[in-house]
Amino acid sequence: MDILYVAVNILVFLLLAPFFDGVVRRITARVVQSRQGPPLMQTYYDIFKLLGKQNLTPGNVGFKIAPLVALASIISVIVFFPLGHEVNVLAGYADIITVIYLLTLGGVAVLLGALSSKNTYASLGSSREMITMIMVEPVLAMTFILGAVKIKSLGIGASVASVAGGGYGASVIIMLVVYLAALQAFVGRQPFDIAEAEVEILEGPFIEFSGPNLALFKYYMLMKQMFYAALFVVVFIPAIKTGYYGFDVLIQLAFVSLVYVLIAVLGSTHPRMRIDQAQKFYAVLIAASLVAIGLSVYGI
Amino acid sequence: MLTIDDVKKQLKDKYQAAVKNFEAPYSTRLFVDIDKSKVREISNEIIKMGGRYLVSVGYDNIARDKTLGLIHNFSLDRDDLFVCIRTSAPVDNPEFDSITPDIPNAGWSEREYMDLLGMKFKGHPKPKRLILADDWPEGVYPLRKEVPYNLMPPAAENVAYQLDEAPEGCTTIPVGPFHPTLHEPAHFAVFVDGETIKGCDYRGFMVHRGLEKLCQTQVTYNEIPFIAERICGICGSVHATSYSQALELAAGLKISRRAEYIRTIMLEIERIHSHLLWLGIAGHLIGFDTVFMQAWRVREAIMWYGEKLTGNRKTYGMIVAGGVRRDITPELGDELLGILKTIEKELITIHKAIVGDGSIHRRTKGVGCITKQETELWSLVGPVARARGVDIDVRRDHPYAAYDEMQFDVPVVDSCDVWGTVVVRILETFEAIKIIRQALDKMPAGPIMTEFAEDVKPLQHAIAAVEAPRGEVVHYLITGEENRPERWRVRAPTYPNLQGVPAMLLNDQFADLPIIIGSIDPCFSCTDRVVKVDIRTGEKSRLTKMDLEKISRAKKFAGR
Repeated sequence: MDILYVAVNILVFLLLAPFFDGVVRRITARVVQSRQGPPLMQTYYDIFKLLGKQNLTPGNVGFKIAPLVALASIISVIVFFPLGHEVNVLAGYADIITVIYLLTLGGVAVLLGALSSKNTYASLGSSREMITMIMVEPVLAMTFILGAVKIKSLGIGASVASVAGGGYGASVIIMLVVYLAALQAFVGRQPFDIAEAEVEILEGPFIEFSGPNLALFKYYMLMKQMFYAALFVVVFIPAIKTGYYGFDVLIQLAFVSLVYVLIAVLGSTHPRMRIDQAQKFYAVLIAASLVAIGLSVYGI
Repeated sequence: MLTIDDVKKQLKDKYQAAVKNFEAPYSTRLFVDIDKSKVREISNEIIKMGGRYLVSVGYDNIARDKTLGLIHNFSLDRDDLFVCIRTSAPVDNPEFDSITPDIPNAGWSEREYMDLLGMKFKGHPKPKRLILADDWPEGVYPLRKEVPYNLMPPAAENVAYQLDEAPEGCTTIPVGPFHPTLHEPAHFAVFVDGETIKGCDYRGFMVHRGLEKLCQTQVTYNEIPFIAERICGICGSVHATSYSQALELAAGLKISRRAEYIRTIMLEIERIHSHLLWLGIAGHLIGFDTVFMQAWRVREAIMWYGEKLTGNRKTYGMIVAGGVRRDITPELGDELLGILKTIEKELITIHKAIVGDGSIHRRTKGVGCITKQETELWSLVGPVARARGVDIDVRRDHPYAAYDEMQFDVPVVDSCDVWGTVVVRILETFEAIKIIRQALDKMPAGPIMTEFAEDVKPLQHAIAAVEAPRGEVVHYLITGEENRPERWRVRAPTYPNLQGVPAMLLNDQFADLPIIIGSIDPCFSCTDRVVKVDIRTGEKSRLTKMDLEKISRAKKFAGR
């Protein structure tokens, strides 16, 4: 029966990620840009449409497997996610380092696809993607480590729950602010959609992808966005347990949708940064998160 | 303050025999015929007097005296004076001294006549093909009279433009011919070192329509304003106005004051819509789509008004030789005032938001920097120049239409970067609103059209400039027989500004390329003078090119 929780995890994320994207598009249009905006289900339509299109590939293996690896890696991450603050059976076989590795694998798959497409814009985009990965990943790692330091365990459930569970000390507040500042970079949206930057490098790493391959990458991006939004909720908002798993999940998803509102507002009120400006910004975030870890060691 | 006589005297004293003849049909235009050996020296002399290079005009005079004519045009902005230096060379050896080494902006004009007329320029630093397609045969010069306007040489395979060599250690990133930054076909080969731009080469004119040739051979004076308006999809009225003014000058026609007021209002309506459009696109180029959407929402009101007034959101078809086609009634005037009030209010909000948004400053300040000296050297025009402290504006310096009676400021900032162009354009929109209000207030009664009393005399030269939203538009007209121009040269503001882009790009980040190119508000169709001629979609019947030709030819003598 325990394995059912894993199935729920995957299903919830697969089904809801495009919906939340639709919410972001709708909020951007109606609230900020005085537009009507697309239907809430538009992202599903987009993905279905792409799935029915022709798949153009340059024929090399890297290009073909990259979208599959990306999607597979993000699904594996989601398997360990404590949905409804319920630590499922598989989480016992992994720790936070596994999660970080799997997340990085997704990014590596994007780079693999980009570089094997041998496109100038793609290589420009992938060098930007690489910089973003190197500079933002530490913030994510620190978030986990903060919990791990507090509870002295690398277990997923334990370290994730202990960040806010132990009360809002100075270290947690700093980490929360840093996480929010890095949120748009995690989810690859403005002002940090530098690697894709449509008007400069035409979607960068994804420029040569089309049809089902592109759909898989899009799905990967959507799932990644939902993962980071949901991770914020489990890490920084203390668990509200009703005793019923279903309710717990719904409450958690309600918080997740609030994070999406934030993503939409941040994304539509900022111009895209340049990569050199973003690098400086990330450096500040890394420094601040190191401070948070330092404080947590002393129990502050 | 220099007068025509001062200029004449200075040139005569210094160059004596090389200056053959002066012609000054009106107090603001001076045509000087000179010997071709002194082209470069006299051009430099005019620049020293405070002249600003505008454009060169080349024309075919083979039938009359077996020569090719060349005219370099200058504007003395402080003295409200245009100086046009005319010279010629025999067709069997059409070689001139290039003025490009001193006046870099003449580079394209000279390359254009290498392509189109077969002229040669001694000392030109980059004598590459500019306009003609890569597979166009050598030795066929389309602007010469012997070449029919519809000549179609067979396409050739395996020909390509040779791009400049990339500097050591740089990779070439192709931007174009199709790229979201450009909106229209053009090719920038950008040489980057990492993300830093170290140079670029430009190959454009991919949609050159040969409008000048068409108008010199196929249509008549009265139809050209409509074709001129289609030179640009955004600021068409400026071309129609500029052409009409040139023709009116050549014919010595003074149009009614009311028509001049209506022209002023149309030009300013166009400026408002064009600047709001640019503001939106600039937002999009730095990845800020909210600015894009809001600016275009505000702009929509003026588009609707344009449709109500003229029948079209754009390409108004209002301005014709001799006046305007439609009157602005008091009711329409009141409605316009209401619309302006809303636009002004919303634009103030947008202005405040942009000025207060640090992230926009980060993307535009210190980007695309060139100094005031470079701007003047490259003869850049419009908001691009005014953002670099160069205080020029045709509306004030060479007043036309009703601008002599309008009170307005010319916003000039000296930040020398893209941010400056944003500020200048927003402030200009407020000025445009101010001008329309004054014009509506003061507009005198009277007819809106003035008929041409007699035929236009052939071989009259005239030059007219109009301040377009993007900078100044210059039209040079040589009247001809058969009720059509002998030569009609259009210079859109993008033509000089695009030549200054490589200087702006140098040492900036690749990520800034879209907004830098965008900051000149490029209009490649203006530069290329494109637009198909098979317009006029009537009620469910579409005129083919052949039909249109037939109609145009039938009306060949309609003006007589």
